[in-house]
Amino acid sequence: MTTCPLVVAPPETTANVTFDKTMDDRIGEVMRRYPTRRAALLPVLWLCQERFGWISPGVISAVAERLGDSPAFVDGVVSFYTMYHTSPPARYVLQVCTTLSCSVCGGRELVEHLKAKLGVGFGEKTPDGSFQLVGVQCLGACGNAPVIQVNDDYYENLTPQRLDAMLDELREGR
Amino acid sequence: MPKLTIDGREVEVAARTNLIEAARAAGIAIPYFCYHPYMTVVGQCRICMVEIEGQPRLALGCATSATDGMVVKAETSERAKEAREAVMEFLLANHPLDCPVCDQAGECLLQDHSMREQRGTFTSHMAETRRTFPGYERRLLGPHIVQNQNRCIHCSRCIRFTSEISETAALTYKSRGNSMFIDTFSGEAFDDPMSACAADVCPVGALTVREFRFRKRAWKLRSTPSICPGCSIGCNIFIDHHEREVHRFTPRENPAINATWLCDYGRFLADSLNEQTYLYPQHRKAGRLVRAGWSEALAALALEVRAARPLRVVASANLSNEALFLARELFGHHLRGDLVVPVTTGEQRRMKNGRGEWLQATDPYPNSLGARRLGLNVVDGDGLSRFLYGGSGLTLILDAEAHPFLAGAEALQLLRVGATAVWLRREHPLAGVAGWLLPAASLASDEGTFTASTGAVQHFAAAFSPPGTVRRMPTGAMSPECPTIASPWGPPGEARPLWLVLTALARELGASNLDLASPAEVFTLMARTERAFAGLEWEPLGGLQRDESLRERQHVG
Amino acid sequence: MESVLLRARGVSDSRSIATYLAAGGYEGWKKALGVGPDAVVKEVLDSELRGRGGAGFPTGRKWSFVPKDHPGPRYLICNADESEPGTFKDREIIEHDPHQVIEGIAIASFAIKANTAYIYIRGEFVRWAKILEKAIAEARAQGLLGTNVLSSGFDLDIWVHRGAGAYICGEETALIESLEGKRGFPRLKPPFPAVVGAFGKPTVVNNVETLACVPHIMTRGATWFASIGRPRNTGPKLFCVSGHVNRPGVYELPLGVTFREIIEEHCGGIKGGRKLKAFFPGGSSAPIMTAEEVDVRADFDACAEAHTMLGSGGVIVLDDSVDMVNVADNIAHFYAHESCGQCTPCREGSDWCADILDRIAAGHGRSADPDTLLRICRFSSEGMTICPLGDAYALPISSMVNKFRADFERRIAGASPLPPKKLPVLPWTGPRPGFGI
Repeated sequence: MTTCPLVVAPPETTANVTFDKTMDDRIGEVMRRYPTRRAALLPVLWLCQERFGWISPGVISAVAERLGDSPAFVDGVVSFYTMYHTSPPARYVLQVCTTLSCSVCGGRELVEHLKAKLGVGFGEKTPDGSFQLVGVQCLGACGNAPVIQVNDDYYENLTPQRLDAMLDELREGR
Repeated sequence: MPKLTIDGREVEVAARTNLIEAARAAGIAIPYFCYHPYMTVVGQCRICMVEIEGQPRLALGCATSATDGMVVKAETSERAKEAREAVMEFLLANHPLDCPVCDQAGECLLQDHSMREQRGTFTSHMAETRRTFPGYERRLLGPHIVQNQNRCIHCSRCIRFTSEISETAALTYKSRGNSMFIDTFSGEAFDDPMSACAADVCPVGALTVREFRFRKRAWKLRSTPSICPGCSIGCNIFIDHHEREVHRFTPRENPAINATWLCDYGRFLADSLNEQTYLYPQHRKAGRLVRAGWSEALAALALEVRAARPLRVVASANLSNEALFLARELFGHHLRGDLVVPVTTGEQRRMKNGRGEWLQATDPYPNSLGARRLGLNVVDGDGLSRFLYGGSGLTLILDAEAHPFLAGAEALQLLRVGATAVWLRREHPLAGVAGWLLPAASLASDEGTFTASTGAVQHFAAAFSPPGTVRRMPTGAMSPECPTIASPWGPPGEARPLWLVLTALARELGASNLDLASPAEVFTLMARTERAFAGLEWEPLGGLQRDESLRERQHVG
Repeated sequence: MESVLLRARGVSDSRSIATYLAAGGYEGWKKALGVGPDAVVKEVLDSELRGRGGAGFPTGRKWSFVPKDHPGPRYLICNADESEPGTFKDREIIEHDPHQVIEGIAIASFAIKANTAYIYIRGEFVRWAKILEKAIAEARAQGLLGTNVLSSGFDLDIWVHRGAGAYICGEETALIESLEGKRGFPRLKPPFPAVVGAFGKPTVVNNVETLACVPHIMTRGATWFASIGRPRNTGPKLFCVSGHVNRPGVYELPLGVTFREIIEEHCGGIKGGRKLKAFFPGGSSAPIMTAEEVDVRADFDACAEAHTMLGSGGVIVLDDSVDMVNVADNIAHFYAHESCGQCTPCREGSDWCADILDRIAAGHGRSADPDTLLRICRFSSEGMTICPLGDAYALPISSMVNKFRADFERRIAGASPLPPKKLPVLPWTGPRPGFGI
């Protein structure tokens, strides 16, 4: 399994966003699935996050205009969910499960290990911008605890040794 | 029509009435924060818990419809009371104890309900550090709204207001759970045309109105029912005043016109009611203005109008029906003068009524429909200019602010030809040309009726006697001067409402049928003689009666 | 017991439609189209299938609540927002046998006459969303979905809708709100979704596992299904076992096995030879059970009798090395993080509990704390909140305090008072526009 690094558009280029033809077509395709325009909001935000790497205020304005909602409404929705990045993320976002099963099966040690190794706390990025450590709630893979989700991929049954190997692999892969 | 029993009282209500309203009809107050009669029911605050016989769980007063034969226990249920006490504890767990410095104190639902719902012996179990929102404690959310997020109880009324009523959807929750807060998009200003209503609906001090903050403690204010003078929609308001100074307008409930809303433009006209530049009748003698008493002024005016050839009267759509009626009878019929009501077009104003329909107006006067219905000659700026043209004789201008044309150089030029008497309250160019300057009273000291654009004839009451001579004591308190003999109409100050001056003038002129003692009498005469007012009675005019209006309803305590 | 829902586990290329068809797949769908919606509902009613998402509501009854004469569209939503701590069964089904779910969705949609179905899958499950999308495309290519399915005149579109990280969206009305593109705030009930659901139309929300059972009921009959398990608790159930056991994982067992069997026989007992201390029978939202209660049968009614719930079947096993204060603290943080914040008791209470438990865990507990926790929990549950998230944190925490009070009292006994707080001094950041009021 190779996890692809996130491609993140810098804040300067996402201040004012207009959707190009491909993007607009994809949004149109998504909107056809639902009886209301608003219902396409979550999928459209996913498309935007795929395209820009994060949901900037400029993206919110553009999405709000496209779907006919107020930007404040879209902003409220974006902030409700944890998976939309509202600031530019690192290339690899390490989402460590901190909930019960993982926590009692070595997750706590894993977190300590990661914090020490990367030198960052939860919510922080490494100075070189390659890793971001995020503590998340249950990832729904408790049988294979402890679990880390890196970008879109699950890494399960981890030990500090396996984790180190994984991090090295990701680092080389960049 | 379901019939139900609440705390032993039987009450019959309309179908689909919720228990809060049903209880209110029975004279029982169920507390609430998030419920608002004109917005969707969300059932978020959980304080309106009641016990319904035969149901194992407590029910929400806001989200439960009354059904026939239902037996509800609100105050008599120990379980419901216990639950409400717990909800109060939850709400207060993270609410700052800053009532002494909070401007909402005195009209705060949280304060009221905590006094009511928590027993005197109750102490909170909360021993943790309170949640705070650094940077959001004193923040300008928009031009009129100050936000203190620490005080927010997350009732979502302000959010629902912007999404359902003003339809700008400018406010939203951000984040979720206990760290949720109210915000606009990306730091944009909250400049909704009805933004101050968001502070009205806020049950606590999380949103307050910038203009009113710290001007007056809520419990000092007295509220007088009135009508907004801002446009022809005729929103029902309370004039909140203290010691003869107007501090704010707040909406007064009227489902047909403004539900419980008020636009920012109308609301912030409140301060203008305190402007009173002219306090005494003045007469121009040899180019200098000389102060005169009303008796002298009325006698002199009576002589002048009787002799005037021709007599021209510029009335105003800002005047009450009563004043317009008196002017028409006195100057039009009795003295055979010419009378016009000049009107102009203003900015568009919008208001949402209780059925969710928008009312619109571009007419900036509160009573132009009243003038039309009284059969008065309503003219625009050009018509006014033609009316004033070539004017020897006497021109009476009953309201200097009747039309912007009156402030222009052309009008002043035209009026220099003959004699002019003008009623005015604030600085106005007409003061430079008129022979008589007569002080007019503000809306707060006037009484009468306006006819709104919907056709409703609505009553406004006098908040206080004309504020001619209010003065500030060295301590900052306000005090009226003592009544004097020079002021024959009771309390001090010599700015007088127009109806009073016109009835006095009628007496001078011998028109005894118009020598009436109150606007109520004028109205009764009008109702008898005018088709447009036939069948109307003075007492029940205008929106809901005072004890039914929302501000009392919110304060269910 | 033979494998039903997980029969494809271990089969090569199990996800492809060819494999599924070869094993008799989509026969149930064809049969359903033949017998008509009412017969399908009756079959499912007779099977006594109960919802596998947590509440255990009879699926057939849920379907029959949809107004028969309602004009206009209705919707079926497959709830794949699997976020309950300790639960990972839906992922397992989708991983090995996505067509089973698609077929179940098709039959259920047909039963309630819905022409559009959505699969609401949690945002983290990117891989499994892709698997489902591929399966839908395959089924569509075979004419099993789309317009005029198998020349029956019935149209059906299925769309995968990804969530974006919110546990609360597993609650059916919050899920509907989220599907409609809003914040995932649960709705007041009534009206129930079967009457006013997604986009204001009648909607049925069923769990992945529930829907995966449906094709088997159609092909093999209600009687066969009802013969598995116990009366009123019929059929196979996926148990997700995690925590301190030797072989954690998903096990397919008939409803009514005892937790002892699950833990000792199927999962090989407690890891490292330690002793069982406690376990959650159905995800962390279920009241915790002690080692003495391990002989309780794992079905909906037996769990309810034992004052807990089977929930989603997520068994979290804890050995005697854990301290209940830490467990309570951990799950309190989960619920505080996932509370939507809409209604008062849950928004304030979940965080308050987490704060108290943090303090006890940090060695600054007070003797009144357990009772305060119980009080908070009491007034956050039993109808005090809009949705069951209030109960979901209140019941386990209060059960932990009640059943393991000794753990709490031991920590509190050795506690030191909280050190005096240093009042923060706000840093001066210079004048800020608009802040100087």
